[in-house]
Amino acid sequence: MIVTELKPLDEILDSISPYHKVLIAGCDGCTQPPRGLREAETLSRLLELAGKQKGKDFDFKVTTVVKQCDSVLTTSALEPQIEGMEAVLSLACGIGPQMVAELFPDLPVIPAQNTHFMGEEKREEGILLENCSACGDCILALTGGICPITRCAKGLLNGACGGARDGKCEMDPERDCAWELIFERLERLGKLDRLKEYRPPRNYQVKAWRLTP
Amino acid sequence: MNKAAPQKDKAQVIEERVAVKVDEEYCSRCSICRSLCPFDAIIKDAETGKIVVDIEKCQVCGICYSACPARAIDTIYYDNDSIINYLEKAKAEYGSQALVIMCKGSAPDFAGVEKLFGVSNFIPLSVPCVGRIADEIFLKAIEMGIAKIYVLACDEDYCRFERGSPLAGRRILALNLMLEQLGYGKEAITLKRNSLKVKVDKDLCIACGNCVFFCPYHAPKLESEKGISIDLDACKGCGLCVVMCPAFALDMENWEKERISTLIPKLLAEMKPPKLLVFRCQWAVFPPLNGNPNPNIGFIDVPCAGRVDAFHILEALQKGADGVLIAACSEDDCKQEGVSARSEHLVARLRERLAQIGFGDRLHFCFVSPRDPERLDKELQEFRQGIEAIASKGKRK
Repeated sequence: MIVTELKPLDEILDSISPYHKVLIAGCDGCTQPPRGLREAETLSRLLELAGKQKGKDFDFKVTTVVKQCDSVLTTSALEPQIEGMEAVLSLACGIGPQMVAELFPDLPVIPAQNTHFMGEEKREEGILLENCSACGDCILALTGGICPITRCAKGLLNGACGGARDGKCEMDPERDCAWELIFERLERLGKLDRLKEYRPPRNYQVKAWRLTP
Repeated sequence: MNKAAPQKDKAQVIEERVAVKVDEEYCSRCSICRSLCPFDAIIKDAETGKIVVDIEKCQVCGICYSACPARAIDTIYYDNDSIINYLEKAKAEYGSQALVIMCKGSAPDFAGVEKLFGVSNFIPLSVPCVGRIADEIFLKAIEMGIAKIYVLACDEDYCRFERGSPLAGRRILALNLMLEQLGYGKEAITLKRNSLKVKVDKDLCIACGNCVFFCPYHAPKLESEKGISIDLDACKGCGLCVVMCPAFALDMENWEKERISTLIPKLLAEMKPPKLLVFRCQWAVFPPLNGNPNPNIGFIDVPCAGRVDAFHILEALQKGADGVLIAACSEDDCKQEGVSARSEHLVARLRERLAQIGFGDRLHFCFVSPRDPERLDKELQEFRQGIEAIASKGKRK
């Protein structure tokens, strides 16, 4: 899912301060945790409390969209709500505010989230990890299901750089060396011969910016 | 926290109150209490042979108190004399001849109790666990002219004190047999069992899976497309899934979001500043039978700290609470598989957000237990001093 983080409340307050009537639009889609109706309600209350302290009175309306990245769903969810609104505060990833801006060209839209990455959620450990960079040319079949483009600090295609210490990356000792993980995994699968194949530099032109499904 | 040292109460000497203790003078060492204690908190001293309470293990359910044939066990909560006093007063106040003894864990609101037993006006006696109600309370009530006694116990597998509900069942069975022989008719005491569980609004569910992860009982199942389904037999009513649901698709019987939202402004309107609203886990704090005399403090009982909702905390602050305190069981005492620790984490997260807007010090989470009867008062006192310090700082500006 898309991993986002709520912006500092001061920054949000600054952005919405020129407006009085603000529609807070949640997104039930793939942000984790989902920034749906609860998050929208919570944020409206926090901002109201903060506003009051600064002598600023907001009139919030709260709603949610199944997926703000979908033009049809976003239109149908927000259209009945925007009457009289001066701005929209979007709780979606970076796509949401852009979609809203496009669909409602006269309405200012403000992001409430910083969008970080596409992530894997490890529930038990309570962490979210960036494991895919959306490079457009997936090589996971060759690397034992571990992405060196994302998880190797150097994005290497042909094996470890030699800088790892105790299985950790020389760039960041907190992080596992992706190529050591790939080695272990391929060894386990009995496919170590894969490492002997030479992989030519990637063709970055295959990365699409527009697709027609 | 770096606060000014709390003011010492002058020359206030309080006799230490012990939640449960054995009076060795009366104890015949029969060990009935030991055999009934669900927490192995009653031990026989190997050297002296005396029966003693290991208070650190004790969850203050009161089962031992109700079962001691020698009345050698003392408790500071809901002891027989207090209950009888309460009943005498309440009988006049409610003008009813029907008594409903209910466990806080499974009792719905008064309307719900009315529906359950088909009685309209009744004397309510709400206790943590009906297993702590001794035979003599039932007999005394009948002697007082109470014509009908209803008992609402938790479903046996829902009992937070494991043995309390089954014990109440056996006790009432025996009492009914005896009362019938004495000419009080069949079933002088009516027992019903209940439990309060989660409710799902499938239309609101966004199938995110949060509840599946957070439920300690594996009650919710997420089957793709169909959305969430809940195995109600597995649900033990902690309410954690409700507060974790991002879509408000889950709610909790008797502790509905709307009900708490209505209660908050009502309580705040009756309180005097500084207004401190306390969400108390019903197993962490046992409220006195005669209610709450402090006009600065309002209490909202929750089935477990897991049901304490960030939404309601913010609502309270917004509607005029000067501070919100959450009184939870420690992780070791938690009756719901460590849910209170999750709650601590959630409150800490909310506190971080509140701190960003200058409200961080208005939210306090603490672990308390009925075995430490002064603890909550101490926490409240310190919290209040903190809040008053903020207020006076604001004025000086």
